[in-house]
Amino acid sequence: MRGRRAVLWGTLANGLILIGILAPLIGLALGSIQTERDLFANVPHIWPKHVTAENLSALVLGVEVPGVPPHARSFPRAFANSAVVAIGVVLLTLLLATLAAYAIARLRFRGSETLAYWLLATRMVPLIVLIVPLYIMLGRLSLLNSLGGLIVAEAGLFLPYAIWILMGHFAAIPVEIEEAALIDGCTRLGALWRIVLPLAAPGLAACGVIVFLLSWNELLVPLILVSTQTGMTLPVLVSSFVTVRYLSYTLLNATGLLALLPTLVLALLVQRYIVRGLIAGALAGR
Amino acid sequence: MGDGRLVAPQAAAAYPRRERRVRGERFLAPALVSPAVLLIGLTIAYALVYAFYISFHEVGLRALRGGSAPFVGLQNYRAVLSDSLFWSSFRHTLVFAGASVALELILGPAIALAMNQAGVSLAVVTQGVILLPWAIPPVVNGVMWSFLFNSKYGYVNAILLRLGLIGEYVQWGSDPNLAMLVVIVAYVWRTTPFAVLLVHAALRGIPPELFDAAEVDGAGAWQRFRSVTIPLLVPTLVVLLVLRTVFAFMVFDEILAITDGGPGDSTWVATWYIYSFAFRYLKLGVGSAGAYLLSLALGLLAFLYVRLLYRRVEY
Repeated sequence: MRGRRAVLWGTLANGLILIGILAPLIGLALGSIQTERDLFANVPHIWPKHVTAENLSALVLGVEVPGVPPHARSFPRAFANSAVVAIGVVLLTLLLATLAAYAIARLRFRGSETLAYWLLATRMVPLIVLIVPLYIMLGRLSLLNSLGGLIVAEAGLFLPYAIWILMGHFAAIPVEIEEAALIDGCTRLGALWRIVLPLAAPGLAACGVIVFLLSWNELLVPLILVSTQTGMTLPVLVSSFVTVRYLSYTLLNATGLLALLPTLVLALLVQRYIVRGLIAGALAGR
Repeated sequence: MGDGRLVAPQAAAAYPRRERRVRGERFLAPALVSPAVLLIGLTIAYALVYAFYISFHEVGLRALRGGSAPFVGLQNYRAVLSDSLFWSSFRHTLVFAGASVALELILGPAIALAMNQAGVSLAVVTQGVILLPWAIPPVVNGVMWSFLFNSKYGYVNAILLRLGLIGEYVQWGSDPNLAMLVVIVAYVWRTTPFAVLLVHAALRGIPPELFDAAEVDGAGAWQRFRSVTIPLLVPTLVVLLVLRTVFAFMVFDEILAITDGGPGDSTWVATWYIYSFAFRYLKLGVGSAGAYLLSLALGLLAFLYVRLLYRRVEY
């Protein structure tokens, strides 16, 4: 009977954990599908009296809706900026990280181990130290307020982590397969392209998804490097809503909800890859 | 340094000793590595050196507009170190990091164990959604918790009142201790899944034969847990302790979204101090000096942790 009791307790514990994970998200969703007036009038009630998509549709369509402040109209632009930046960062990071990680994992060269450990050490450098010089450097290059500048900066900051994730995956591919290709007359880069990369595809996917999330979620870097209304990414837009305290709660909640939806979808759909990448890097985001 | 477990599990195997070289490969490795090294060199290494330079200069609005940035020696460091706000921010950082890392290290393994329990079908659901808090934008996480803890309209007060745990609505935002508590709750909710994942991976890596052997030797469930599970989790817990402390020192987004540093300066943490000086008061030199002091503290902390804990972990 001890077994059955353990299962009972385990079920109870998992139930509590699930509530802990999901309840705050449900709270946020509930706080975004009602009007501000209802929220204020309906204080002690948990379920909203009237459900409305007003906030969400105002944001998504970028239209002016009575009662919804005009800030909401920047949402589609910010969403597009976030997507462009995140995809750009993923592509640039994957390209450079693949080449570097392959070289470190496969072509032993002088200083490769030292390089690997220096890359690890950079993860201990707080971003806040780097952001002041980056701001001044990009300003000198006239790259402030440009999505291109932001992409390059973020790619540089995430590269060491991406290289670490990929190194583990390249090292796990049996050398023999690659050697066979080399003996058959394949060049090194040919072997990398035709043999190693297809085998490392799950690792590349893991790395890509994690870098996408890092970029999509990043606040400080775009907050400092891009200050124009048209260049804002979603986290920056959310932070600008936060500092404008008169903005409505329900609209802020709706913005937050829409900003986190893509991350939830990724976390649910490609969870396997993310976990693989996190464990390979063992040095995940903040 | 032990078996190198501070780094990824596979990392120790990341260097296959391949001595045999393909012709014409001497320049291939440098060519492949250099684009990444160049970009990292600019955005991290050069920036770090440049921040050091800035911390010895007066960099304000004038300098940003192309004017001069005069050398001021140690003045920025003196300004920071004699600023009582810096020290209180540092204290708040220690409180925040201590509390959140402690909670993550308790909750992480506890949830991982529950998630790993055999025969519990709900555990599969937990495994499916455990990543959600980790994946969401930190600033949105802050917005979410600031709404939930809103003293008038938030669900936390509503639920606590219904459960009879509080007699009247709590003003979470206006009490310094409660404001810090809200930030810690929000941060821990987002970051604990990472601890869960690492511990869960470590749990699954324990060979079942060890438990069988212990059982044959007459060890009960608790004894098996104490003498098999815990010792094998220690390396993972050390990794978590180091990483999570370092990252907790860098908390920023939740502070911005929930408290804005307030009430008063009660949730000013180190990064908030640096950010405020550099980008609100436009004293970039002072901000950089503060940032360098933070980096030094972090470096020292990581070094001490590794030195102190690694000895004991080798078993």
